[in-house]
Amino acid sequence: MSGSAHISDLKLEVGGSGWVPVRSHFGVSSFGVNAYVASEAGGRIIGEHDETGPRSARHEELYFVANGHATFTVNGDEIDAPAGTFVFVRDPAAKRKAVAKEGETTVIAVGGTPGKAFTPSEWERQAPVLAFFARKEYDKAIEALEELRAETPDDPTVNFNLACAYSLTAEKSKALEHLRRAVEIDSDFLDNAKNDSDLDSIRDDPEFSAITGQADAARSSS
Amino acid sequence: MSEKAYEVAHLDELDRFPVDDEGLLWRPVRRRLGITAFGTNAYTAEKGDERVVEEHYEKDGHDELYFVASGRATFVLGDDEIDAPAGTFVHAEPGTKRGAVATEPNTTVLAIGAKPGATHVISKWEEIFVAFGHYRNGDESAAREHLTDFVEQNPGEWQGHYNLACFEALTKNRAGAIERLNRAIELDPQAKEYAAKDEDFDWLRDDPEFPA
Repeated sequence: MSGSAHISDLKLEVGGSGWVPVRSHFGVSSFGVNAYVASEAGGRIIGEHDETGPRSARHEELYFVANGHATFTVNGDEIDAPAGTFVFVRDPAAKRKAVAKEGETTVIAVGGTPGKAFTPSEWERQAPVLAFFARKEYDKAIEALEELRAETPDDPTVNFNLACAYSLTAEKSKALEHLRRAVEIDSDFLDNAKNDSDLDSIRDDPEFSAITGQADAARSSS
Repeated sequence: MSEKAYEVAHLDELDRFPVDDEGLLWRPVRRRLGITAFGTNAYTAEKGDERVVEEHYEKDGHDELYFVASGRATFVLGDDEIDAPAGTFVHAEPGTKRGAVATEPNTTVLAIGAKPGATHVISKWEEIFVAFGHYRNGDESAAREHLTDFVEQNPGEWQGHYNLACFEALTKNRAGAIERLNRAIELDPQAKEYAAKDEDFDWLRDDPEFPA
């Protein structure tokens, strides 16, 4: 849709930092675009990553510091990036991250794959879900996630987020069932399981230990 | 890979090419950084009461996202008027009329665009804009060199010859203007229709050899 919005009106608090789902808000379909906000100095804006993983589309990425002051690190090089700085990471394999030097530092990230038509990243399908989490509307999150699960029952992220949502609504057996499914499909979710406070309501359950213990064993033997 | 893994540039370091006589400055971002997957440009209005996005539709079907990086602007989007302070995104689908006028000094708007469902093709108009930007900045030799290089690299494209003809006309080179315009018309007869209405050629219009 055509329309307008101020960045501050689109910001969601997700996992302690601000996420601005620009692309999904406007329905932009020809490139990826999101923004990230760190409310305090020292806060993480862009977590370290590259664009080559199984869920990455080998994007080239343009970052623009819209507000505040950031420090980027690309392939180990530190880049001082006050407001108005563009950092363009051409190489999908380059490791990049950004940390705020000032409060309310905002970075817009734009991405696309050279030589390919754009398709939205898989993780972005869940943008509305993350919005429900941010607003603590867990019933709506569950409803949206169950619709996604009907389309892709073996998506580990959908299962993991369902585990979180059911844990937060104290539906322990469903939470454990989806957690089991998520780590069976992708053992990387084991680390998330151990660290995500959304799962605290099931963490002391013997089955939680059984799931994470089995997954740990499977991962170390593979 | 031989290319650098990344590039860095600050808005203040980008070129400033005038694109009209009102003061609108084009600040090439994509071209400077070597982005290939989507188009990116910035536009700056320094005085603060001039146009910062030309009023237009996207004829080539680009989906466009604008971001007010500094200052403030009033956007027109379809039938709506939008007050857009720094930090505002404006999204325009291809068929929606859009434009913006700055309402504060040093207003800069980023424009990001690409065509849905298609591999991004770098717009050739960027190079023509660079050439006329040099011309408006008073550097005729850089403008000529840029246009000549463009035509050499794109000999079969009428737009290159046509724009070189405009440049020759603006710099009062009668023979050069007529020769280039003839070549443009040979490649595509619509060049004649454009030339008939283009004021760059006004002083040549009564010349017996002027082709349009």
